[in-house]
Amino acid sequence: MTYSIRAASKLDLAEIMRIEHLCFIGDAWSEASMADELSESHTSYFVVESNSPGQNADSEDSTLVRVVGYAGLSKHRMSVQGDIQTIAVDPAHRGQGLGRLLMQKLLETARNQNTEFVFLEVRADNPVAQALYRSLGFKVIDRRARYYQPDDVDALVMQLEVLALQKQPIVLGIESSCDETGVGIVRGNELLANVISSSMELHARFGGVVPEVAARAHLEALQPTLHKALAEAGVSLSDIDAVAVANGPGLAGALMVGVGAAKALAVGLGKPIYAVNHLVGHVGVDVLEHGQVETPTIALLVSGGHTSLLLVRDLLDDVELLGETIDDAAGEAFDKVARVLGLRYPGGPEIDAAATSGDPKAIRFPRGLSLPKDMEKHRYDFSFSGLKTAVARWIESAQASGKEIDVADVAASFREAVVDVLVTKAVAACVDHGVPRLLLGGGVVANKRLREVAAERCAKHGIELRIPAFKLCTDNGAMIAALGAQLFMAGRPASQLSFGADSTLPVTTVQTLA
Amino acid sequence: MSSFLLAIDTTSGTSVAILAGETVVAEVHFESGMKHAELIGTAIAQVLEGAKARPTQVIAVAVGRGPALFTGLRVGIAAGIMFSEASSAGLVGVVSHHAIALQLYSERPELLEQPLLVTTDARRGEIYWCLYGSLDATGIPIVLRGPSVAKQSEILENLTDSYPDFKVETGGASAVWIGRLAQRQILAGQHNTDVSAMYLRAPDAVEPKPNQYALGGNIQVSPAPDEVS
Repeated sequence: MTYSIRAASKLDLAEIMRIEHLCFIGDAWSEASMADELSESHTSYFVVESNSPGQNADSEDSTLVRVVGYAGLSKHRMSVQGDIQTIAVDPAHRGQGLGRLLMQKLLETARNQNTEFVFLEVRADNPVAQALYRSLGFKVIDRRARYYQPDDVDALVMQLEVLALQKQPIVLGIESSCDETGVGIVRGNELLANVISSSMELHARFGGVVPEVAARAHLEALQPTLHKALAEAGVSLSDIDAVAVANGPGLAGALMVGVGAAKALAVGLGKPIYAVNHLVGHVGVDVLEHGQVETPTIALLVSGGHTSLLLVRDLLDDVELLGETIDDAAGEAFDKVARVLGLRYPGGPEIDAAATSGDPKAIRFPRGLSLPKDMEKHRYDFSFSGLKTAVARWIESAQASGKEIDVADVAASFREAVVDVLVTKAVAACVDHGVPRLLLGGGVVANKRLREVAAERCAKHGIELRIPAFKLCTDNGAMIAALGAQLFMAGRPASQLSFGADSTLPVTTVQTLA
Repeated sequence: MSSFLLAIDTTSGTSVAILAGETVVAEVHFESGMKHAELIGTAIAQVLEGAKARPTQVIAVAVGRGPALFTGLRVGIAAGIMFSEASSAGLVGVVSHHAIALQLYSERPELLEQPLLVTTDARRGEIYWCLYGSLDATGIPIVLRGPSVAKQSEILENLTDSYPDFKVETGGASAVWIGRLAQRQILAGQHNTDVSAMYLRAPDAVEPKPNQYALGGNIQVSPAPDEVS
């Protein structure tokens, strides 16, 4: 069966009313008012027809044509505003993108008539329709209580800024630097989809991420993750304006899966590709929640693979690495200490849970690189391997002396040591550089104590603290898409197809051009 | 409008070709067994340009599945999957050794006379191997044993009992022959849509030994508040 779209005429009235009664039970328009709508000079109505082979295959003209959907736009000649009057698709023909097809036709018509704003109302209890409108660029601007009667359902008023939309590219981002396969889709600064497939469970029995296991999992997760992201965003690949991919830093073999995938996708779609820095992506994700990354800002990125302190003066042009871990990443320290304590992998949430009832001051574990002499040379660097050893030694000696070990106290004291040193150095970076903003990123941000201590100390120093939603903190494709979209909107040239995966890509390289 | 098959193989070099039937329309082949991620995008773009083909004219994507060294292998498969998504083309997975066998049989028909062992380097003193016995009626290599991975001396010894006169050829797959084999498989209705990587080896990863300081069951854990309530 194929579908086609054309302008509606009065002759379609009967078929339109058939669908109207199927779709709007209890609050259908009358035939008279529908007839008026179709004949008004300021309205544009379209119908979708299905074309299917008829019963009588011998007959030359055996194709059955049937109206299966319709939609209308109202736009007065002297106004810059348009209204979506109605849209309906025969229930038997839903799920095939006909609603989108009709909406796109109406928006095309609106653009041709120099419309600047398009409005619509949608039932608050219809998430499918809302998702469609959001994916087309509509935003909720108002709510009308009990608008739909007799069902007593609220209406959401949505608005589309036609001109703004034309400058907002839809960018698909692919992330594969560690153990999460991420596909994200954004329109400009707006998040449309963020789907993450994690191979974490596969690494559990090894007590840490195994690069080959991660790379294998990426290859298997690519296609399903892409499909989920497209469905979540309500877009198809033909809507994508650009592809972005994290090409480092990270695990080389894992990164290569994403890079190979992204390049073929871009070539296959005939669209530009942006190779972006994974760590800067963690900073750029802030645009999805705040519309922009306010600069300058200090960024503390803490995960199982990274512990980095960044000074971002400009998201696209001026990112400086102030310091990073000289041995284990903070997340790794959680994993290792969890093992010492007989807790499961990943260690972060396990230690967090175990620490809940513990006393963080029970044991004074060392704060790495915090002594005066270290603070001269490694002011913004971190070290966690000594801390991990200190925990092991403490338990060893406690066991030797027959003391009863309170896991909650050990977990709480260890966590306090990690959090203390992370926040102390981040706040010092803010104060030293006169930067009143701190952005957190990375999976360890899930740690409740880290968020608490950061909030306390930032408040004390008058520093604005930003913590993205957890799904945007952990490794994800949306942050890669968001950074790619920033480059696209700034008019930056796309990356050439020759770039590679770089496991040690420096943060100063926000975009790899070739 | 013509329709094409795009073939990709990264089991040794980076190899990409566009075929119409079994005719090669465009081909890019980088011998180096490195830089697959760097080369793959350019290679695909170049064959499309060389064939004057739009992505939508590609109706099938054939991908070499290995067996091969993992890191490079994955790049070609990932690229094949995503190109098929972009172009709405069908995906066909081809065992790379089968394509090498087809090439050898086509270029040197005398090899059809006796069993043929196709080997590629698997590092660590081992080879990926597959044993063939001529072509079937549809022109597809007949697999006698394999594909598998083993020490070369062992496999030679093992096979000699059953196949005293087999001949050994070492090769590398090319996209052209991946594509030609895929076309034959499609025509014969024997193509496989599975494009999963043929690793034949488990990942190198060792489960850690229990930590000597790890706490056992005799440790008292205070219950978390939410467990109490």
